[in-house]
Amino acid sequence: MLADRAKAIQRVCFDSEPSEADLGVLGSRERWLVYRDLVRTRITGVIEAALPRTKAVVGDEPFERMIGEWLAGGGPKTRYYRHVPNELADFAIPIWKHGAPPWLADLARYEITAWSVRHAPPNPTPEGDFAFESRPLVGAAVQVLRLDYPVHQRPTPEARYDRAPIILCVYRAEDHRPVPQQLNPLAADLLDAWQRGEETVADSVQRVASAHDTAIGPAFIEKLSTLITTFIERGIIVGGRGV
Amino acid sequence: MERQVTGIGIGLRYDLATELLERQPGTVSWVEIHPENYLDRGGRYLEMLETARRDWPVVTHGLTTCLGAPEPFDSDYLHQLRDFLSEIEAPWHSEHLCLGAVDDRFFHDLLPLPFTEEAANLASQRLTEVRDLIDKPLALENVSYYAPQGTDGLAEADFVVEVLGRADAKLLLDVNNIYVNGRNFGFDPKAYIDKIPVDRVVQIHVAGHFVREDGLRIDTHGEAVPDDVYALLDYTLRRVGPVPVLLERDNNIPPLDELLAEVDELWTIYRNATEADDAG
Repeated sequence: MLADRAKAIQRVCFDSEPSEADLGVLGSRERWLVYRDLVRTRITGVIEAALPRTKAVVGDEPFERMIGEWLAGGGPKTRYYRHVPNELADFAIPIWKHGAPPWLADLARYEITAWSVRHAPPNPTPEGDFAFESRPLVGAAVQVLRLDYPVHQRPTPEARYDRAPIILCVYRAEDHRPVPQQLNPLAADLLDAWQRGEETVADSVQRVASAHDTAIGPAFIEKLSTLITTFIERGIIVGGRGV
Repeated sequence: MERQVTGIGIGLRYDLATELLERQPGTVSWVEIHPENYLDRGGRYLEMLETARRDWPVVTHGLTTCLGAPEPFDSDYLHQLRDFLSEIEAPWHSEHLCLGAVDDRFFHDLLPLPFTEEAANLASQRLTEVRDLIDKPLALENVSYYAPQGTDGLAEADFVVEVLGRADAKLLLDVNNIYVNGRNFGFDPKAYIDKIPVDRVVQIHVAGHFVREDGLRIDTHGEAVPDDVYALLDYTLRRVGPVPVLLERDNNIPPLDELLAEVDELWTIYRNATEADDAG
């Protein structure tokens, strides 16, 4: 009985249109529609907070329709309010990939990445210092994002982007804001490897440099040193994991 | 060592935290947080919590382990919650007597339970289960609701008392919710308070609410505390004694000084009511 009632409440709140049968089971039709509105407004609010530019590009009504289509799948699976936008993004980005403008999906991916980085867990505790002989430890609030359009540049919603593939490291800065740092493909592959943390720094550098047909000479070493220094200063690398 | 929670507290919310934590007003004796907003989260929230803990005792109030869901609990989450409560030295934890999820889908809102034997049985069993798992005293909170659940508005009070008794539980008494329900369903909020076993009350919530054009009151936590709710708090404190009182403000956050003026008003009521209690 309680379970049946709970399922009816779920359908009233999340179905595209609440059924009169469910409203009849629950009674007080108008008041249950108040609940439907409260639940959906709260969920929509956090999604809009996470994806403001995407919403501006998509438009208010189509954006709300997309949320409605997603909710019709039964509602958020996460207990964490801050993770609700990620579920909507997982649902909507594959659809927006085929929509207009062509950079819409990239914009949504960038916004949800920045949101995720802002709300990411605390950094893990390193077992040691960052060292070439150790496996590196990257901060929890770091994501590598490969985009076809430079949507991290913040134009007005009406602005357009020309296709210009770019790789970003989005990290949480000291003031807790998500910040994008542009990476070249080799640096991005290195950071990917360091996030996985399966190889020592030395092994990953050799493998990735080889994959990019890049000789490990003085110029490379100098650039690598600058990259590592920058990563450490910005809290992207937090230390080492040990061998 | 757990610090004592007394007097007037305020909900630590992102939009007011910066000024609150910088000014550390002496009239605020403790703060309350929602663990779901802090678990497994770094950045500003972690910083807020660490700063708050230096100055105040922190009490926790859950949003998603609602006591009326028909499915088994997520035990991984409850273990995480237990560790978190232990780490921040929470003196007790509270959860809502409501439905918050179905089939692991979360409403992110508080839906009412029917005031039935089946619901009382389920809620009391779940309350006991959560309390055992988190290894802390657990209080349930009475919620506001908008769709009638019983034949009589005061049936809610009987339902709450029934669950408290079956689970031998503590109560977080939300006087704004009682006021809202009283106005929406036409019962005397004081009659509700009179039914509550005072020895079970460990904490009180007060807040403001929104009145729609059709008269329906919605528990938004987005308005100033109205005089009627202050009056009900006074009545409640004279019955239950010096129980810690929290000002909840989650939306439409005003300048901190406006909230602190409400805190001052709460202190006046608190002192008058509880000193009268001492004298009595």
